[in-house]
Amino acid sequence: MNASQTWVVVADAPAAAGLVEVARTLSTEVVAVAAGPRSVAEALAHVVDRVIWLGEPGDLPVEAFAPAVADLVAAAAPLAVVGATTPAGRALLGAVAARLQSPVVSGIGSVELSGGQVMVTRSVLGGVSEHRTALVGGTAVLAVDAGAEVGAEGSPVPVEDATVTPLTTARVLETKVKEHAGVDLGAARTVVSVGRGLKAQADVALVAELADAIGGELACSRPLAEGVDWIAKERYIGISGQHIAPDLYLAVGISGQLQHMVGVREAKVIVAINSDKAAPIFSQCDFGIVGDLYQVVPALTAALGAGA
Amino acid sequence: MKIVVAYKWAPNPQDADVRPDGIVDLSRAKSAVSEYDPVAFELARRLADATSGEVIGLSVGAASIDTSLARKAALSRGLDRLVLVADDELDGADSTRLAGVLAAAVTAIGDVDVVLAGDSSIDVAEGQVPLTLAGHLGWLGLGRVSAVTADGAALVVERDLPGGVSVLAVTTPVVLAATADAVVPKVAGMKDILAAAKKPVEVLALADLAVPTAGTTLTTLATARPAGGVRQAVLFDATDPAAAASQLVGALRQAGAL
Ligand SMILES: Cc1cc2nc3c(=O)[nH]c(=O)nc-3n(C[C@H](O)[C@H](O)[C@H](O)COP(=O)(O)OP(=O)(O)OC[C@H]3O[C@@H](n4cnc5c(N)ncnc54)[C@H](O)[C@@H]3O)c2cc1C
Ligand SMILES: Nc1ncnc2c1ncn2[C@@H]1O[C@H](COP(=O)(O)O)[C@@H](O)[C@H]1O
Repeated sequence: MNASQTWVVVADAPAAAGLVEVARTLSTEVVAVAAGPRSVAEALAHVVDRVIWLGEPGDLPVEAFAPAVADLVAAAAPLAVVGATTPAGRALLGAVAARLQSPVVSGIGSVELSGGQVMVTRSVLGGVSEHRTALVGGTAVLAVDAGAEVGAEGSPVPVEDATVTPLTTARVLETKVKEHAGVDLGAARTVVSVGRGLKAQADVALVAELADAIGGELACSRPLAEGVDWIAKERYIGISGQHIAPDLYLAVGISGQLQHMVGVREAKVIVAINSDKAAPIFSQCDFGIVGDLYQVVPALTAALGAGA
Repeated sequence: MKIVVAYKWAPNPQDADVRPDGIVDLSRAKSAVSEYDPVAFELARRLADATSGEVIGLSVGAASIDTSLARKAALSRGLDRLVLVADDELDGADSTRLAGVLAAAVTAIGDVDVVLAGDSSIDVAEGQVPLTLAGHLGWLGLGRVSAVTADGAALVVERDLPGGVSVLAVTTPVVLAATADAVVPKVAGMKDILAAAKKPVEVLALADLAVPTAGTTLTTLATARPAGGVRQAVLFDATDPAAAASQLVGALRQAGAL
């Protein structure tokens, strides 16, 4: 193993600040391999020590470069490989993990080097437990949040071209670009979130009015974003969605399943509105109103307006 | 087409007992077909029907994944047959090892065109296994698949990605992981459950599969229950919604949350 290098594997987006930050904690040379347009490699060139670019993907999906990325990483046998928890990031990491026979470690809280060994804290099994784990015997493969776009502060290192052979079994025929909701729930102090207690899409307005009155952002549970599509996917909270830590989280018609609640564990105050007294959320909140959201939400909007 | 659906027989960690020292006891949590995997069964069935193909369920894990209940739960969801690798040596195995065993089983099944998987498993919930499986097989692996249709011997695959919907022409073999809401899976009826009892099940011995040995292993040094679990749960009754609302607003002001 080459303990003096950490590799960052980047798919098709310049959002890689989170990866570089984690790689830097290991105090080694940081080598980035960029699968995707040259602009991604050029952005990375400002923040890493070496950057290797695999060529323009053209109409190939970035996942087609996964075996090539695995070849390059395996040849270098670095201390650690850091990639993103995005779909493409996991494809690159999956190929690397299979090549190195190393598990992809996720749910990471912190990373450190101790006695030459990579150690992480991570949450496991949907967040029910926190583990301190040593990665023993070979390269550590870490999946972390991609984070923001990398900044162009330092002077760039030259982009090194690598000639690789991607898989050619898929071609992108068309991409229907979707308007980005452009929300930053992470920055919101107050978040009002709604779940399957809502009966119709039109009723989202009711909850949005409450969010307005309280000066918060609107969010939801997963079924409302992926399932019925009533609210943008960028707005659902939980293990597969956003992790947030607002001062106030108001959950309306949300039962409080583990997979949802792990996304707001760090919230200061959690409020639940639910008609079922036995809903699990009532044992995980600071304040709750047991009642019908169709009555409670308008009353709460009015009470906030009156107090303002 | 010959389609394998990788599904997990897993407990919901919601029902786990977590000790104060963070040790997780899952013995009271009942296992089931992982929540999103029926989406993959349904996509596979439709693709197989359109191509006069076959759907083979595949699951790997501890010995407890092979019970008559577990077999029926899978076989009643549109499968033609089932292949299992059930060995306690796989209890708590990491994603790369599970994917390695799945890959060896896919190779043993032979001539597989498509492997379909769910979005993420209910217990681990990383969405990693299918993509590591693709890595082991050296096949293309695509996550977030929202639709898949046959186009002759090839496939048209739609993906729901953060930047938008992407449409691809794909030649097999390929590993596809479905989104949670790609299709609404059919609910198994009495007829499906009765038919399930007659469908073939093949159990592969772990020892007979060519599974690579681990390069890196995980050693747990300490466990802890996550902080932030205990909250005071002050509840207001909403018989009078306006009164409850103003009580809550008052309490939030006092707590400095407004
Ligand atoms: C691998 C995996 C990953 C997952 N990831 C996530 C995730 O990231 N985020 C997420 O949110 N979920 C996730 N889930 C799904 C999760 O397990 C739950 O199914 C989901 O959170 C439930 O959403 P809900 O609370 O809105 O709906 P339900 O559980 O159906 O709850 C609806 C609630 O509304 C209440 N209600 C009904 N009518 C009213 C009314 N009129 N007034 C007031 N209350 C009412 C009901 O009492 C009930 O408690 C995941 C699941 C799996 C398997
Ligand atoms: N042990 C397993 N056996 C078969 N399929 C699995 C197994 N583990 C995970 N999968 C598949 O991979 C998907 C994602 O799982 P995970 O990576 O654990 O979130 C699941 O929805 C299943 O389709």
